[in-house]
Amino acid sequence: MTTLSSTGGPGLGKRTYAFLRSIPTWVLWILVLLWTIPSLGLLVNSFRTRNAQRASGWWAVVVENWSETLTLENYADILSAGAQGGLWRALLNSLAIALPATVIPIAFAAFAAYAFAWIDFKGREWLFIATVSLLAIPAQMSLIPLLQLYSGGGHLTIPILEKTLTLFPDLDLAGRHVSVWLTHTGFALPFAIFLLHNYISGLPKDIFESAVIDGADHFKIFWRLVIPLSVPVLAAFAIFQFLWTYNDYLIAVTMLGGAGQNFPATARIAALAGEFGQAEHLLTAGAFLSTLLPIIVFFALQRFFVKGILAGSVKG
Amino acid sequence: MVGVLSVAVNLLMALGMAGGAGLWIDRTGRRSRTRRIIAVVVGAGLGALTWWGITSVDKLETTATGVVVSILASGLIFVAANKLFDLAPDRWAVFTTLVGAACSFTGFAMLWGNRVIDGPVLRTVVATALGAAAGYLLGTVERPGPRLAIGTGAGAALGALAASGMRAVILVFELEQGTFELWPVLPDLRYVPLAILTLAGAGAGLVVRLLRRRETPLLRSLMPGAILGYAVGAWLVPDLGLGTRTDAYVAAIGVGLGIGALVGLKPIPDHNARGQIEGSARAYIFLIPALGFIASTLIIPTLRTLFLSFHDARGQEYVGFVNYRDVFGSPNIFNLEGWAGIFGSKLFWVGAVLILFGMGVSVVLGRQSGYRISFSPGSGGIAALGAMLALFAVFAAMRGTLFNNLWWVVTVTVISTTAGLAIAVLADRSKGESIAKSLIFMPMAISFVGAGVIWRFMYLARDVSKPQTGVINTFWVGLGNLSLSRGPGFWIAVVLSLGLAALMVRLALRAWRVGERGIGAGAAVCALPLVWFAYALWRGVGGFEVRDNGDVVASTIQFAQQAPFNNVWLMLVLIWIQTGFTMVIFSAAIKAVPSELIEAARVDGASESQAFWRVIIPQIAPTIGVVITTLIVLVMKVFDIVKVMTNGNFGTQVIANEMWQRAFTELNFGLGSALAVVLFIAVLPILFLNIRRMQKAAS
Repeated sequence: MTTLSSTGGPGLGKRTYAFLRSIPTWVLWILVLLWTIPSLGLLVNSFRTRNAQRASGWWAVVVENWSETLTLENYADILSAGAQGGLWRALLNSLAIALPATVIPIAFAAFAAYAFAWIDFKGREWLFIATVSLLAIPAQMSLIPLLQLYSGGGHLTIPILEKTLTLFPDLDLAGRHVSVWLTHTGFALPFAIFLLHNYISGLPKDIFESAVIDGADHFKIFWRLVIPLSVPVLAAFAIFQFLWTYNDYLIAVTMLGGAGQNFPATARIAALAGEFGQAEHLLTAGAFLSTLLPIIVFFALQRFFVKGILAGSVKG
Repeated sequence: MVGVLSVAVNLLMALGMAGGAGLWIDRTGRRSRTRRIIAVVVGAGLGALTWWGITSVDKLETTATGVVVSILASGLIFVAANKLFDLAPDRWAVFTTLVGAACSFTGFAMLWGNRVIDGPVLRTVVATALGAAAGYLLGTVERPGPRLAIGTGAGAALGALAASGMRAVILVFELEQGTFELWPVLPDLRYVPLAILTLAGAGAGLVVRLLRRRETPLLRSLMPGAILGYAVGAWLVPDLGLGTRTDAYVAAIGVGLGIGALVGLKPIPDHNARGQIEGSARAYIFLIPALGFIASTLIIPTLRTLFLSFHDARGQEYVGFVNYRDVFGSPNIFNLEGWAGIFGSKLFWVGAVLILFGMGVSVVLGRQSGYRISFSPGSGGIAALGAMLALFAVFAAMRGTLFNNLWWVVTVTVISTTAGLAIAVLADRSKGESIAKSLIFMPMAISFVGAGVIWRFMYLARDVSKPQTGVINTFWVGLGNLSLSRGPGFWIAVVLSLGLAALMVRLALRAWRVGERGIGAGAAVCALPLVWFAYALWRGVGGFEVRDNGDVVASTIQFAQQAPFNNVWLMLVLIWIQTGFTMVIFSAAIKAVPSELIEAARVDGASESQAFWRVIIPQIAPTIGVVITTLIVLVMKVFDIVKVMTNGNFGTQVIANEMWQRAFTELNFGLGSALAVVLFIAVLPILFLNIRRMQKAAS
């Protein structure tokens, strides 16, 4: 469509042209098929017995005797098996990590975004740019110090004077979910502030002015006007952040370290993938289960998710 | 106690969820009782599920309770701070009373928390009352003399109160983890350094005053520095614990006196100034939670990582640039030795020929249209393809972690961007657009770990004596069988590919004659691999090998193990995920191009392809820039996929995984930090680009 002359061209015959004209649609659906095959294969295989998985590829399901090869055992096994409570517990851990790690940054970012958008103070623009530019800092830059902070507290030794001040007590957070929440919150804030600021600063100025005339202060405006009006963008960020934290592996595996019983599903699946052999047939069911919730959230709330992504990148 | 608390907390969570669901269901504004009941039921269900989930995992319950309580407490502090500053403009005395009480309470609570004073409860209560009284008086009394007296008096009294309770005895207490020694407090005061530091502080204040050329009273500009100097001299310089109680009195009262005097010297602000205090305080109340988090999880750790990268594995001895030398000196990380291999690879020469051919056609096209050189999709595409192949040859020869990372960045960024753009264009206004887009977008919802597992099954290679169960190896082995069989399937494939090639050549000739040189060249280049495929099929291609004794056996591709192109197979996973992201963004950008622009171009006689390249692409250029920068940052940090699929073995190591292994499995924090800094420096240009873009948007 894009590479061809729209008139059909004097030289290219009408039939050729009609054929070429339909190529884009064909190409599109072939691509869609290619894109779906990996997930489809995993889904199909997760319902096949170990023997069936080893005897033939997932496509053989079309010709097989289903009563022999299809089973739910993989799911039953993966949910309960394992020394650390099975995947069931890991899935709960994932939720226990993702829900707070979504809610906490929203609250903080909404305050900050409102201040950056509608409160006049010195150095506002500069501070905003400085905050949001931290978006690009790799998480790796913070991992070592944060782990040290969570497992030993934060101490500052003043040079020359040789006095050590404790800035953050050793709360023994490493290995607990709190450490993952705090880390996610910090990393999410620049993006969250950016996204919410884009939206909140675009709210019509009149409503703020009339609210001020009615005697409302910033606090009231924030709760009564800004929060209700920003529900779409808050939802967009919430979905984005939920998918991100639920699917995160790096921060969870770093902060939780040896505390395998607290691992989220991603870390459990990664550990399972590292053990070769016997459990491989369970891996299909495990991988599917661990992606089930994100996919449901994704399809149910795709509109918000797309909105969030667009607002985050296109407007910038 | 904890039980009751956690029940309360979980109830609150359930209510919060109910409220959230209610908000969501109610978002249309059509409020009806049924909807609200549904909302409450859904919310209560979600809350109960969470509650049950959390309580069913031991330890989680207490952790969750603690965190919810602290979130509620911070929320309360936030609201209280807002309410407090509401009072400032109109009810100044109440405001100062509360501020005085809050400041004294916080100060004594900190002493209490660090177990520095005896009788903490009583002392904190007295201090709070004292602070409140001083605050009230300072908020009402207007004459300067009494104000100064009130300020100094209250400050000195608070100092004395603290000093009188300071612990003089060394405390040793034993816990399960070991013996702890609580540092004793009384300072061993030395008067000469104290005086010098106080004077130095005052001098610094004077310098600042001269530099800023402000008309503040001399005394007020000297005092902050002097107080700071005195505090350092009294509490940080001397040894703590060896002094007498008199020393403690002198040290504490001095600081209290100074701060009190500073406050007392200020007159009561007029209504305007109070409004300003309220306004700027408000900005900081709204900002401080977020900025505090950002500072403690991003800024300070970044500085500390920089610091650690110049220290040894335990972070104790300064070692200079040794870690960086180890990074760049290691042949596993940075290795130029294979450069000569570039020129020995077929890939490179095919790429070079394609670049030259594409450029040549572009020059011809340029003559036609009056430019020096003009890239059409055909000619530009050929050159770009050639450049890609040549780059692949370069990266296949230059081994090492850093080059792997670059390879990732180039490949994933380029292919994801082009594929996303192409799919967005293909899907635009075609049948079933939303379904097609959803399916391609879906991998975005899958974790990198999950995607790694999914592709592991795609790439699965099993022993050749058994049937293959991985999709790609099945095709590969099947292709080998086809090529060897010389049966009807073989002939069909040969004829089909030659026929397609002939079609392409015909199209190329026609297009060339019509004047669409770019399309012609593109079609001609497309014909080449088809002809090559037919030839290869004839000679034998696919998953088999011929043993020395003449036996022919099947052979599989070990996608994860066979270097250097195993890197590309890993990249494919990320491309599979990220193309959905680029497609969605490009799709929205293309739909946002005003249709009048495209219509106008058509009226002026532009073809579809010209409309795309000359109108749509320039319109969405900023979006392309954003997508590319986002992708570069993301790909630079790639970790999960490599970790799950190869863990960096077989020559697939990337910086993020190298960093993780050094830091968290070998516990070499110095080397790990140095690698993190390398990663940081690599994304630094993008960071500056982003800042520039935002500055432009702001102005």
